[in-house]
Amino acid sequence: MAEKFMSMRNLKFLLYEVFDAASLTRYDDYGAYDRKMLDMVLQAAWELAQGILWPHFQEMDRDPPELAGDVVKVHSSVRDVLRTFGEGGWIAMTVPEELDGQQLPQIIADACHFIFCSANYSAAVYPGLCDGAARLIENFGSQALYDAFVPHMRGGRWQGTMALTEPEAGSSLADIVTTAEPTDEGYYRIQGQKIFISGGDHDGVENIVHLMLAKIKGAPAGVKGISLFVVPKKRISETGDLVSNDVVTSGIFHKLGYRGCPIAQLSMGDKEDCRGYLVGEPHNGLRYMFQMMNESRIGVGIGAAAIATAAYYAALEYATIRKQGRMIHEKDPSLPPVPIIQHPDVKRMLLFQRAVVEGSLSLLLQCSQYVDLKRVGSDEETEAYALLLDLLTPVAKSYPSENGILSISQGLQCLGGSGYCDDYPLEQYYRDARIHPIHEGTTGIQGQDLLGRKVMMKGGKAFKLYGEEVRKTISKAVGEERLQIQTRALEEALVLVEEVTAHLKGVAAKGDADKFLADATLYLELFGIVAIAWQWLKQGIVMVKGIDGAASEKEKNFYQGKLYALRFFFAYELPKTAGLARRLMNGDGLTVEMQEAFFKD
Amino acid sequence: MNIIVCLKQVPDTETQIKIGSDRQSIVTDDIKWVMNPYDEYGVEEALRLKEKHGGEVTVVGLGPKRVTESIRTALAMGADKGILISDGALDGSDSLAHAKAIAAAIKDLQYDLIFTGQRGVDDDLGIVGATLAEALNIPQLSLIVKVEVAEDGKSVKVQRPIEGETLVITSTLPALITAQKGLNEPRYASLPGIMKAKKKPLAEKSLADLGLNSADFGAGARKMKILELTPPPAREAGKIVPGETPQEKAAQLAKLLHDEAKVL
Ligand SMILES: Cc1cc2nc3c(=O)[nH]c(=O)nc-3n(C[C@H](O)[C@H](O)[C@H](O)COP(=O)(O)OP(=O)(O)OC[C@H]3O[C@@H](n4cnc5c(N)ncnc54)[C@H](O)[C@@H]3O)c2cc1C
Repeated sequence: MAEKFMSMRNLKFLLYEVFDAASLTRYDDYGAYDRKMLDMVLQAAWELAQGILWPHFQEMDRDPPELAGDVVKVHSSVRDVLRTFGEGGWIAMTVPEELDGQQLPQIIADACHFIFCSANYSAAVYPGLCDGAARLIENFGSQALYDAFVPHMRGGRWQGTMALTEPEAGSSLADIVTTAEPTDEGYYRIQGQKIFISGGDHDGVENIVHLMLAKIKGAPAGVKGISLFVVPKKRISETGDLVSNDVVTSGIFHKLGYRGCPIAQLSMGDKEDCRGYLVGEPHNGLRYMFQMMNESRIGVGIGAAAIATAAYYAALEYATIRKQGRMIHEKDPSLPPVPIIQHPDVKRMLLFQRAVVEGSLSLLLQCSQYVDLKRVGSDEETEAYALLLDLLTPVAKSYPSENGILSISQGLQCLGGSGYCDDYPLEQYYRDARIHPIHEGTTGIQGQDLLGRKVMMKGGKAFKLYGEEVRKTISKAVGEERLQIQTRALEEALVLVEEVTAHLKGVAAKGDADKFLADATLYLELFGIVAIAWQWLKQGIVMVKGIDGAASEKEKNFYQGKLYALRFFFAYELPKTAGLARRLMNGDGLTVEMQEAFFKD
Repeated sequence: MNIIVCLKQVPDTETQIKIGSDRQSIVTDDIKWVMNPYDEYGVEEALRLKEKHGGEVTVVGLGPKRVTESIRTALAMGADKGILISDGALDGSDSLAHAKAIAAAIKDLQYDLIFTGQRGVDDDLGIVGATLAEALNIPQLSLIVKVEVAEDGKSVKVQRPIEGETLVITSTLPALITAQKGLNEPRYASLPGIMKAKKKPLAEKSLADLGLNSADFGAGARKMKILELTPPPAREAGKIVPGETPQEKAAQLAKLLHDEAKVL
């Protein structure tokens, strides 16, 4: 197995040099911390990743969950991971201190999540799910629900899940049919089916707590009739014991990758004895869930960037060891072969990976920073950051997810035939990463969200703010000679996005909704490339200073390497925007017009 | 029971070590410093004993300011107090001098047990534990993999592996134990632990604070001199034993062991 799964140097570069995370400790909310403590947190996260996640990375894939009778057996390390995370406070990183949480800045919590996911994505999902589910109860549930469930979930003793998807309702949650029938005993009687529920059942915990969407009988149709419930696998009886709550795991799915974590099919209320406890108000479930989902979407982006980073380090290690071929200019066949990292085409593949991974991570931490600034800022700032975050969430989810796959594919390619075989981890990274464009809303859905909602909302206010943010970076970079070409290219690319957006708004204004959103995924792609270019330029401003002031050879190499990755992104990736823009401005409605019957043969 | 753990900061074992131009020291730029792994066993054991018998754990480190990071890590694991012995005059001192400074910092403290690592993974000398025990005039129990303190807190029973056997030793307290791998599995620092560590006392002492004379420390006062550091010889490429079948390979291997390695 490769020796390195992530770069702490690069993570700290982003956290402290680009996003100045240490300055957050000036605010009361994060005043309990200082830079040294944040470093200790990162180091502790790394040790945990290295000590209990990384060693099982391969094993959890080879020895996937199994449904044996009525229990889902998972890898024995899952229990240990959940307990250690629970006891160490890692399931409550951003929870307020008064609720026994750690009240860490979001940007540090997200950095820790990145470390965990790069070591072992499957294992990192279990505590991550507990965190998200517990937060839903904390934010919207009653005190009684909180007391009954949250401490167990944050302690890593009970697994939390998000139970939305049903056989007939995936992307379109409005169509869920799981029902909740009110009783006069304070609970609802739940009946229905859920599929693909991550961590939906396993033997690493004593209980599973589903945060489940269902429709109260007689509720209005569509999304306005969906409510959120806590539906435990085992409920707490009057005597305080855990008793069965009529939630049956009817199957688990066999997946392409990310095999260390089961996804379950659940059947509720076969015996008409499944109790659900309403969270918040009736019919507001999707709204609550979406607040959570935005964070989960950033989490997916982080997972994608993390897997791709680990794949990069595995590919890099191989490329420095594997000797094959001679330099093109070398005519003497008796010379020994060179390490493949010397071939420009291999360097191209490695640079592509860095350009994608480090650009993605930067955009993700940019979003984390907006979360923090939203928390500590004035009302006006809070609104601005909230809008920016809303706008960028589908981008920060999709760019790393889609391009992470391409990046890992290039990593795999660096290994040649060995990349395709399971003696090396690349094939697993490739399989593991494939989930990210699917779960938490497919890329198609993210495209529609970005163009159909986020860009249009509040008369385009978020989009306008975003342009201002990008231009702020541009104006900071303007004086820097070494970044001149890139600065100009970003300005042009931003103008291009603005033109395309204006054009598409025009299509929407004509009332042609199908045409307007037909290529929303391409719009998302265009938007994503420009957003990543923005993040690279933002890093670039710091890098050139870093090169000038580097205290050692190693440091200088670090900044030089990054500068090459930046130049690569602008030279190889940003030009793709031209083709995308051309397509998006065309508006011939090709895919709208294509008929089902034409696909047959 | 009160326990003292001595802690050294060493280069992470994954660091690529470069020898300096003086050929007597290593280049310290770009080194990632960590708590000596054997000392980590000492911290963990001290915490377990505290959890069982009560009392306090004090961590003592020596070296430049950066050593506070490792002391804070021990505090985050659960130790109660830290002492950093830091003084420019210590630069270039040998392990004997280090032990002397640590002894001066410890001698007036109340303690039942002292832990050190069995050696530092940097220069592998293993001198500080023994020298410190001598200076404090207490028994030294070296290379220990199991520690049991008697209920009355007056004696300790320890195990030390020797040549496939186990030596069981009992000793009165106070005593000094040097920790060996196998003693325990050190815990991970927790987030609440990191938060609490911030508020725990960490005192810094100079040689003068400890009543010591700077002239007895530093390069000039070394009793052990480093003549030269040389990197280990580069490993030669291995040999793959030829042969179609396992039998053929075994025969070839036996021949090589006999003719070339001359071990058969
Ligand atoms: C490993 C894994 C883990 C999961 N974990 C969970 C979990 O924990 N909890 C949970 O609730 N769910 C979970 N899911 C479910 C996941 O969120 C859904 O699979 C996903 O939202 C897509 O829904 P679907 O599978 O029904 O696909 P569909 O919605 O049927 O989509 C199929 C294709 O059609 C496209 N499409 C659908 N509708 C439209 C439209 N209106 N316009 C344009 N294109 C459209 C989609 O983009 C997609 O390409 C998980 C799935 C997997 C595979």
